[in-house]
Amino acid sequence: MSRPLLLLACAAFAAAALAPIAAMLPRVEAADWRALLASAHWELLGNTLLFGAATAVLALLVGLPFGLLVARTDVPFARAARSLGIVPLCIPPMLFAMVFTALSDLRGAPASILILATSTFPIVAVFTVRAAERIDARLEEAALLVGGVRAALRIDLRLVLPSALCGACFAFVFAIHDFSVPDYVAFVGPKFNVYAAEIFASWRVDSRPGLAVAKSLPLVLLSIAVIVPALRLNRAASATTIQAGFRTGAPLALGVWRAPALLFVLAVLACGVFVPLGRLLWEAGGGAAGFELPRIASAFGRALELSRVNLQQSFLWSLGAAAAVVPVALVLGHALARARWLEPFAILPLAVPAILFGIGEIVLWNHAWSARFYDGPGLVVLLFAGRFACFAILAVSGAATALDPRLEEAAALAGARPARRLVSIVAPSLRSALAGGFVLVFVLSMRELDAAILVPTANQTAIFRVYQQVHFGRDDFVAALALLVVCLILLPGVLWAAFGGRRLEVLP
Amino acid sequence: MNPFRTLLALAFSFAAIGCAREPDLTVYCAHDQVFAEPLIQRYAKEHGLDVRVEFDIEGQKTVGLVTRIIEEQSRPRCDVFWNNEAAHSARLAERGLLASYDSPSAKDIPAEFRDPQHRWTGFGARGRVLIVNTELAAPSKLHSVRDLLDPAFKGKTCMAKPLTGTTLSHAAAWIDELGEAQTLAFLKELQAGGVNFVQSNGQVMRLVSSGEMAYGMTDTDDFNVARMRGSPVAVVYPDQDGDGTLVIPNTVMVLASAPHQDAAKRFVDWVLSKEVEAELARCDAAQIPVRADVPRPAHVRSTAEVKTLPVDWAKIGADLERRFELMKGLFVG
Repeated sequence: MSRPLLLLACAAFAAAALAPIAAMLPRVEAADWRALLASAHWELLGNTLLFGAATAVLALLVGLPFGLLVARTDVPFARAARSLGIVPLCIPPMLFAMVFTALSDLRGAPASILILATSTFPIVAVFTVRAAERIDARLEEAALLVGGVRAALRIDLRLVLPSALCGACFAFVFAIHDFSVPDYVAFVGPKFNVYAAEIFASWRVDSRPGLAVAKSLPLVLLSIAVIVPALRLNRAASATTIQAGFRTGAPLALGVWRAPALLFVLAVLACGVFVPLGRLLWEAGGGAAGFELPRIASAFGRALELSRVNLQQSFLWSLGAAAAVVPVALVLGHALARARWLEPFAILPLAVPAILFGIGEIVLWNHAWSARFYDGPGLVVLLFAGRFACFAILAVSGAATALDPRLEEAAALAGARPARRLVSIVAPSLRSALAGGFVLVFVLSMRELDAAILVPTANQTAIFRVYQQVHFGRDDFVAALALLVVCLILLPGVLWAAFGGRRLEVLP
Repeated sequence: MNPFRTLLALAFSFAAIGCAREPDLTVYCAHDQVFAEPLIQRYAKEHGLDVRVEFDIEGQKTVGLVTRIIEEQSRPRCDVFWNNEAAHSARLAERGLLASYDSPSAKDIPAEFRDPQHRWTGFGARGRVLIVNTELAAPSKLHSVRDLLDPAFKGKTCMAKPLTGTTLSHAAAWIDELGEAQTLAFLKELQAGGVNFVQSNGQVMRLVSSGEMAYGMTDTDDFNVARMRGSPVAVVYPDQDGDGTLVIPNTVMVLASAPHQDAAKRFVDWVLSKEVEAELARCDAAQIPVRADVPRPAHVRSTAEVKTLPVDWAKIGADLERRFELMKGLFVG
């Protein structure tokens, strides 16, 4: 690896992803640490952890069978279901909250758990699918001979479980850090407090940034403690299943279970895709006030007229963040594959609550000397890139692990310098992972709300506009704007699927 | 390749592209974005100005922008603050953060809606009213805030927690009207008497509109949203036989350290014009004009038609932080 390139990438990552976290630490005072001892604080932390665990378990219970069915069985429309199954991850969780609260009277923690599980089950499903693809056909064939489909599925389940659990750990971390869903559910129903809201209140209402940092620390430590072992578990599982003579087996025939399996897959897709998007489309057409098709066009026209700038800015800023992250991810992902001890640093931005990350950006950049940058789009791009670079780095490192080192060694022997090897040998081999990282950062940036709430310039994004607008009541404009946001989020992924020629790799 | 030169070049390029252009005017606006934004955009277009507007986050009504103005004292960004209530404006004035500006547009605004030192000026107001579901309760039988404690409707009445926005202003005004001990006792009585304390005035409106609650305390603009949706609701201006209904004006002010003082004053003149007040009365927010001669739709009352509770906003502003702590003691934790 080229040392200058590595230094450059490390400096860029440190400036974008680690500096906002580091900037917060000097703000903590002794009184802030003492405040952590309050029993109410630990009670809220306990409740939030239970909330995250419940979300993760539900995401696992849905995502694992869904992933296994669409990856390894002959359930009808498996290919289409597999693609559609990713869509819920692209829908901002607050849109699920809007639809769910309109359709159900359930409120409080149970509602938030259901909403976040719907939003995060695709993470488990994607991990499961990837693990299922690594199952050697010979193992399945042996199981089929001995005990039929049930035995084969049991074997498959055991093999994909570590990866699915890794996905559930990510769902857990997403849930314990989420602010927007509990905030929205509490807005339309009884008060339901979570830890992220407490961190936000420490900053915005009590004006105690040090307390916000101190309160975040348990979540950061817990997130790292969950994700690092989960990633190791996933890697260990993938290393043990790939063996010489590996081949993929034919889809398992479900027999009489094919129809119930299809029903399950359709039900999952209905909850995660068709109902939310259908409901928003219905609301865009007038909803309960009288649905009419022509109203849909007028609602979209109004949404474009009033929020064109927000949509453009969201799109451009997210593209900018994704583009900025790719070269850094290439260098650091490649390095991380060979130095796993760096992993806790790489995932630190993921372990830090989004609210705290946003506060860190303010503390870091809200000064007279940086005023123009603080007020400009550059800070939003930096915020998104810093917050989500870790996902791209993990995706690239996952793919780089499988890269044959002899390719680089041969190029080195032929006289290619490290930078040349990286660009000519490594980058083309990791094209799918780089594209996956790009799309992942773009999607997450487009749907980011928690950190964007705090940074003034980021208040101009389209999803923030939805968040603000929805408090004045739900109407056709809000629904149309929400659908436009979803369409923009899906655009790069759809374009890659149509013209990319190969599948995106997004997993660590 | 020299990594440090490359890094510097990249950082400078990024900063150059990512920096904002200096705006002609920066407005912080706590009034609902959906209503204020089109008006401000029109002003910017008509005057050919680059106006940066930052709105408050809905969940942190008013408090967020006030906190920011206080935090930004060392690096002022805001020129004009359009607040949607008056207590925090008086608080900012007490802290010396506002410039004195006697706008010519404010000449005919009644003194009760103006700071004597011209640091802030009120316009387009909201009343603190009872919203009543007419299928569950008779509006004619409700007269006072104390009717929230009617045993016949125990558990079926509601109001927002007095921690932010107009509800905090209301509770702070009660302290002057009733005295501190009596106010706290009254709030405890409300808590013990089965009044549901919810998150926001909007939530009060939704609960009453849907019939989950019979009536509750909210703002006139929230009532108007329910009225426009065709919900079975009526409005009661409470305490018309007593001290009067609390009316809380929007307020506008120029920051003492505003980077663009002249542009800020021109904007304030425009905001305080009768045309803007008429627009605020006409829109769905149905703000009550503080000047009797401002045109308004039939469903919007005039301050002349309502007995209003006299309020010393300066006194409230000076003591707001302590009163907020009192409310936190009752409603948080």
